[in-house]
Amino acid sequence: MSDSALHNPPLDRPHRPRPWHNLPFWGLLPTWVLMGFALLVPVVIVAAVSVATRGTHGGFTWDFNLASYRQILFNEGWTGEMEFTPQYLMIIARTFVLAGATTLICLIFAVPVAYFIARQTAGTKAVLIYLVTLPFWVSMILRVYAWMIILGRGGPLPRFLESFGLPPGTSFMFNDFATLTAMVYTYMPLMVLPVFASIEKLDVTLIEAAHDLYANRWTTVRKVILPLTAPGIVSGAILVFVPSLGAVLEPTLMGGGKQMMMGSLIQLQFGGGRNWPFGAAIAMTLMCFVVIFLIFTAHRAARKGDVA
Amino acid sequence: MMKRYLATSAIALCVAGAAHAEGQLNLYVWAESISPDLIAKFSQEHDVQVNVDGYTSNEDLLTKLQAGSSGYDLATPSQHFLRIMIDEGLIQNYGANTLTAYENIDPRWRNQWWDESQEYSIPIAYGTAGFVVNTELYNGPTDSLGHFFEPEGDLVGKIAMLSYPDEVVGAAQLYLGVPFCSEDPAEMKRVLDLLMAQKPAVAVYSSDNIASRLASGEVATHFWWDGEELKARVNGAPFALAMTKEGLVGWIDSMVIPVGAPNYDNAIKFIEFISEPENATEQMNFYAHSSPMTLVEENVVYTKEVAPELYPEVPVEFSRTCSPAAQDLVTRVWTQLLQ
Repeated sequence: MSDSALHNPPLDRPHRPRPWHNLPFWGLLPTWVLMGFALLVPVVIVAAVSVATRGTHGGFTWDFNLASYRQILFNEGWTGEMEFTPQYLMIIARTFVLAGATTLICLIFAVPVAYFIARQTAGTKAVLIYLVTLPFWVSMILRVYAWMIILGRGGPLPRFLESFGLPPGTSFMFNDFATLTAMVYTYMPLMVLPVFASIEKLDVTLIEAAHDLYANRWTTVRKVILPLTAPGIVSGAILVFVPSLGAVLEPTLMGGGKQMMMGSLIQLQFGGGRNWPFGAAIAMTLMCFVVIFLIFTAHRAARKGDVA
Repeated sequence: MMKRYLATSAIALCVAGAAHAEGQLNLYVWAESISPDLIAKFSQEHDVQVNVDGYTSNEDLLTKLQAGSSGYDLATPSQHFLRIMIDEGLIQNYGANTLTAYENIDPRWRNQWWDESQEYSIPIAYGTAGFVVNTELYNGPTDSLGHFFEPEGDLVGKIAMLSYPDEVVGAAQLYLGVPFCSEDPAEMKRVLDLLMAQKPAVAVYSSDNIASRLASGEVATHFWWDGEELKARVNGAPFALAMTKEGLVGWIDSMVIPVGAPNYDNAIKFIEFISEPENATEQMNFYAHSSPMTLVEENVVYTKEVAPELYPEVPVEFSRTCSPAAQDLVTRVWTQLLQ
């Protein structure tokens, strides 16, 4: 990486500190090593595999080939000729709708919760934040199984509603509602915490000032609270949206796996499909979308920051 | 006092096991497929620390071996994946036919197409896959795959498929009379049409948590394996494996040694150990799938009377190793089904 050059000035300039005296370089070295090995190297490998040629029974050979990217849009039809196949685009679109819905619902619930917590006394606040993070102490798969029991046939929720006249044997499992419930539940803390952090920092006197200037409650929320908590909301949205795109567990276990998501599509290509380059190409496509989303939100946040 | 002594010796055993690299054996086998009692016995007899990892699909195993340097000494792929592993050079020729274990293989399972020379593998279990019904929720006919793929009445909306195509596409092919590994798109389109027509009646495509899903009544029928159904049934679950006249999908798992296995000698010792008639019998009694080995007949728990599902009288069609073209058609069917 070019950064080592940045922190390693040529030795023929004696007035500059020597490399082993360069504290920022050594101080940041663990970061660069971590970023390099945990982030950059895996992404480069996936990118390289996505343009490799598939092996006969899975695996791949290092021959440059763009077939995997073409396959996202064009495939051989059942009659044998190449045709435009929207199936992968549909899976991508569905994944985005699901991730977007999860983010939106999390946001709607998280803002009031975070606001409520932020307005408590220090002791209560600590306890409530602890409670929000409590689910993270239990394995994710266990929490999803718990929801399967709650929503499933004979579970607490159907039983409760059956006492109000719902036909017995009802199950709320294996549909989009079940998937969304588990997704929202799983990612909710990731939204609450950053939103809480920014609401906590909010200067209460500004709200009072808004009221003094005859702003009603809604205007105060719109013109004062939301712009000032926007950074927290944006980072919460990113923290929820990005992992939601790769969700495999919830759609498979809760949704019944009847409709593929990008995560399960990638899994199929590396497993039963035995087409690693195609799996890698879909993963790269997913990553490109994520990067576009991040640039877009960062841009918007920056613009909002200017206005505020 | 006794407890403390035991605890100390347990720690000592662990330390001893960890200290000698040659005293290790890393198994990568079907989840919960090997009797823990046998593993403990082997561990003690040979002073080897055995580490067991489980997988739940052949695809997982193949992908892991293809990714390289898995560190595993022994795996148990099914026949159609075993063939790929030999062809791709992922597993070792360990001269299986020169071992004592080879002599214990029931002759009808020796030198089959998945390992003609029987140099790469020793079989450990075989069985079938078909649809299992919860008899409390469904008491209609189960003599044809048609009741599963073209359901009527009680089964509509109560059907569970597996989450990957390997066995269920095979069963659909049996029902339609399409040969396994067909490379004919027109034939595979018929398979897709059948599965698409079935989809509105399917509740879930999942390979996890099958027993509780079927027992709780969340679904009334699940695609499943004979031994799992048998184990649940003898424990009191109201299950029955459908004996379908079109046939059942067959599989046979064999013990192989991946290339680069760090504890080759211990893997051989384990293969010999678990293939001894006495141990093979105990293994079968634990796993509840049929054994391809010579057994101690009077100790077999799952006899024909107790476990008729292990002795099907309908045809059993073993999954085959598909060409890439045929495999792509299977993947395409599955992707379009779940798109």
